[in-house]
Amino acid sequence: MGLEWLPNSFGGLILNNGALAGVKVIDLTHHIAGPYATKLLADFGADVLKIERPGGDPGRRLPPFYHDEPGAETSLPFLYLNTNKRSITLNLKSETGRAILMDLLADADAVVENFAPRVMPALGLDADTLRKRNPKLVVASVSNFGQTGPWRDFRATEIVEYALGGLMYIFGAYDREPLKHALHQAQFKAGTNLASGTLMALYHQRLTGQGQRVDVSIQESIASALRDVTNNYTYTGAVRRRQPNHTGDLTRLRAVSDGYVLPNPGMGATLDWKVLVDFLEAPDLDDERFDNASARLENAEALGDILDQIFATKQKQEIFYAAHQKRFIYGVIDSPEETVDNPQIQARGYYVPVHHPDLGEIMFPGAPFLMSGSPWAVTDAAPRLGEHTRAVLGEMGYSTQELAWLRASEVI
Amino acid sequence: MAGPLEGVRIVEMGQLIAIPSAMKWMADMGAQVIRLESVQRLESYRTDSLYHNDVDGEFWNRGANFYEQNRNKLGLTLDLSRDEGRAVLRDLIAVADVFAENFTPRVIRNFGLEYEDLRKIRPDIIMVSSTGYGFNGPWANFGATGPATEGAAGLAYITGYRDGGPVMSEIPFTDYTAGEHTVAAVMLALMHRLNTGQGQFIDVSQTQTCSATIPEALLDWTVNGRVPERIGNEDPAMSPHGCYPCAGDDRWIAIAVDSDEAWLGLCRVMGRADWAADERYADVLSRIRHRAELDKMLGFETRNRDNHELMARLQAEGVAAGAVVDSEDLLFNEHLQERRFYEIVAHNDATGMPPLPYAGRPWKLSDTPAVPPQPAPIMGQHNRDILAGLLGRTDDEIAALEEAQVIGFAPLSPRGVRRPSLDEQVRQGRMQRYETDYAERVAQWFGTDR
Repeated sequence: MGLEWLPNSFGGLILNNGALAGVKVIDLTHHIAGPYATKLLADFGADVLKIERPGGDPGRRLPPFYHDEPGAETSLPFLYLNTNKRSITLNLKSETGRAILMDLLADADAVVENFAPRVMPALGLDADTLRKRNPKLVVASVSNFGQTGPWRDFRATEIVEYALGGLMYIFGAYDREPLKHALHQAQFKAGTNLASGTLMALYHQRLTGQGQRVDVSIQESIASALRDVTNNYTYTGAVRRRQPNHTGDLTRLRAVSDGYVLPNPGMGATLDWKVLVDFLEAPDLDDERFDNASARLENAEALGDILDQIFATKQKQEIFYAAHQKRFIYGVIDSPEETVDNPQIQARGYYVPVHHPDLGEIMFPGAPFLMSGSPWAVTDAAPRLGEHTRAVLGEMGYSTQELAWLRASEVI
Repeated sequence: MAGPLEGVRIVEMGQLIAIPSAMKWMADMGAQVIRLESVQRLESYRTDSLYHNDVDGEFWNRGANFYEQNRNKLGLTLDLSRDEGRAVLRDLIAVADVFAENFTPRVIRNFGLEYEDLRKIRPDIIMVSSTGYGFNGPWANFGATGPATEGAAGLAYITGYRDGGPVMSEIPFTDYTAGEHTVAAVMLALMHRLNTGQGQFIDVSQTQTCSATIPEALLDWTVNGRVPERIGNEDPAMSPHGCYPCAGDDRWIAIAVDSDEAWLGLCRVMGRADWAADERYADVLSRIRHRAELDKMLGFETRNRDNHELMARLQAEGVAAGAVVDSEDLLFNEHLQERRFYEIVAHNDATGMPPLPYAGRPWKLSDTPAVPPQPAPIMGQHNRDILAGLLGRTDDEIAALEEAQVIGFAPLSPRGVRRPSLDEQVRQGRMQRYETDYAERVAQWFGTDR
């Protein structure tokens, strides 16, 4: 346990001082949610062996692609989601494939999967069976609706999770159809939660030697992060909805002359209204209809109209920095281009070069959080499909001849 | 064993969501979390969203958001601007495993609570700082909210209707993104400490955690020099894919057709054999080419149907579909009920509040599931337990702290936010509707009336 020297893909040795040095994870995941969970584990030192179906993780087909050239090794999201992992192919529909998996699981700490809940049991790989063979094994799953319940086998994609998780109804314009975030927030959220659940089970395993089952639901990942949506109902009977533009909310997104800002003049009771009126140079707001929170809620529409007019005359960077001089916690809406160039994000060294043996250097979003004692590190680019099949099976004792036979019988 | 984190003690100097939500989930899993607050500076989650919208009496013990974020924690009031308050905190650090906070570095430095200060008291302490933009750098001392980091990270810019500007959710979405990553980070640090005996400093930037979840857009820029356009509910690889109107007021269904089989299933449920036979829609590329037309046709067919019934029929045909659930649908939900997603929390008698359901956790652990739920502390509820029981302070010492208002049981200058009447909130469009029999319905559904 603890620190260990590991070979890297450039033929050298590196010191693994990640928090999970020595933790062995068998990764059966695909697409986004599962791979993000195992990426978090791998980027902090776990030994993650990715097991792909012979055709490869469908996540290898996720756009956008490197230089817009579609291919199994050029999906940018795939390259991001699978750093620091090794890849072998294995056909779990074949008995031999399952036998190899069971051998791999014999000394693993965790197995992580995100198949539909009926798949693993149908393959004879249900959690009880796996745990019986290796009592310390953590069997971690993420699925659309969890491993139990009447909606267990419902089909879902990102937008369906937004709908059934309760986030979509309160997202978007008041008088239009509800909206989802761009891209795959529900999948990433669930992946993060799967990493946490797995880590809690691994912590317990380290203390007791016992593994257990971890069940993460994407729907519940959304529903557990909605602040007061259901509480509005249980506390007052009111049903929240998408808000109109004029809600008396001083912190609502506003258009300025060259983009968008998020005003915020301070939290709750700490707001001094006169200071805000001066800051915005808006004498129209110096009015008892607006000078306390309760009054602003009563006069929300009038307040909204005035604020729209005032903000239309401001400039994004100028008002942002001026606000923070007064400790008004304004925010800016930055495009991907602007966020990469942002002085704070640059000063933090957030974007890091990752060397890919075929594609060269790619600037990746880096550490989600910084750890002083067991830092985040990408030492290896995402693996090519089955890149490590020969090496891993060779270590398990399979001869060159046996490997050829396994390949011919479409096990690997 | 109730939770895997039994024996882990966390001192939390949190506010609002980012740190409190993360520490709530760790408290659920058995950690002892001591939540600090002060009687001088009342957190806004104690002043707003009050039970029955009632600002009378001890309203600060009836705030929905405070209860939501602080379940299963112990409460200690402490004025950290005073030497006596900081002395108590130092004694707590000496017996803590984790110190978690989400103030700006300026505040933490002023209080002498940086990692280097703490490790002098407790060499293997794990400190986690959660800020909008990170603990160092030119924006380090810029306070932030969830919406601000959703903006800075690049997520808000790429989200929105095809013909409109950026849109963001009506909740501080990225506070949770940070909170979820914070749980993972603290667990990693606890694992590292088991391995090495060493603590460390964790620096969570909410912006970075959010950017970490939009690699598609960020890599498209760094690699291909392209900034994605806003495409509303569209998915580049599926059609139809969107949110369609249903019968009733503000009722909708989300449908995602991800295969030819799903397309034929949709046609069957909608009774449109002619669509299924139409060559223009025969494969995914042609359906994508006719996306706008298909969306209009489908919305016309869904508009008089009940969204839950339609969901059930579509799911039975293998089509990914979900009713856009409102808070009532989400609360009275048979699937979540069978999974026991909601935690039924009994409140302190002094609040006059009945037991209520709160959202549970996104993970279920089979052998060490969670501790039995306790409500968030009323103000100062555990002052004595912690000061006398944990730190060995005498009655006289505790009385002196109270006399000096270093600790207390009520805010010094309470001011609650009274929301407009529910009728007015509905008129303004802030709320979709309200029910008057909600208390009975909640009690009946969750069995707290028995």
